[in-house]
Amino acid sequence: MNLFRSEEHIERWLGDRPGGATITVAKLSDLAHAWWDDRLSPRWRPRGRDESQAILDRLGLAGDFWRLA
Amino acid sequence: MEPPDLHLRNLTYALFVANGRAPSAEEVARDAGVDTDDVHAGWRRLHDLHALVLSPETAEIRMANPFSAVPSAYRVRAGGRWWYANCAWDAFGVCAALQVDGVIETSCPDCAEPITVDVCDQAPGDRSLLFHCLVPAAHWWDDIVFT
Repeated sequence: MNLFRSEEHIERWLGDRPGGATITVAKLSDLAHAWWDDRLSPRWRPRGRDESQAILDRLGLAGDFWRLA
Repeated sequence: MEPPDLHLRNLTYALFVANGRAPSAEEVARDAGVDTDDVHAGWRRLHDLHALVLSPETAEIRMANPFSAVPSAYRVRAGGRWWYANCAWDAFGVCAALQVDGVIETSCPDCAEPITVDVCDQAPGDRSLLFHCLVPAAHWWDDIVFT
């Protein structure tokens, strides 16, 4: 799960390996804040798979790649 | 998750943030007033629930996501300290968890050029960068360190 300067850098880094999914850093920031912002709250509770999937879905991260199971 | 394990988890995270590093099992045991063996047993249950990640070699904390207990390619300046994050996602997660602005420092895995990203009001300053996730979501926990 890395940051790259451009799509060209990703392609070169992948070489012959199959690629995964690419999103903008703005989307990544939205995802990280939705995913982690309760992590230090005393009210934190374990999140179920459906709740985690709902975060991905809400951010438009659709398709088989983003299905948690 | 049973209440004692939830308490252990929250205490572990609190000590991580307070000290700027992962606490040892002895430190957590001392703070909780329990035996070190109890901490290790609780950490193992939390590891199995993906609530934290233990080092297979030492049974100490390897990840308290988004924080990394070991140096990584993602350094984050946030809340007056430098932190290590497990990946790019977690680097933004450090700012999210601490609920502060920050600065992420890493390098492009392709060209090795330094990358610095300011995070202000939950948004990246440089919006030209891209994030690539190699492993499909269904397999993230198959090998979370590789992911």
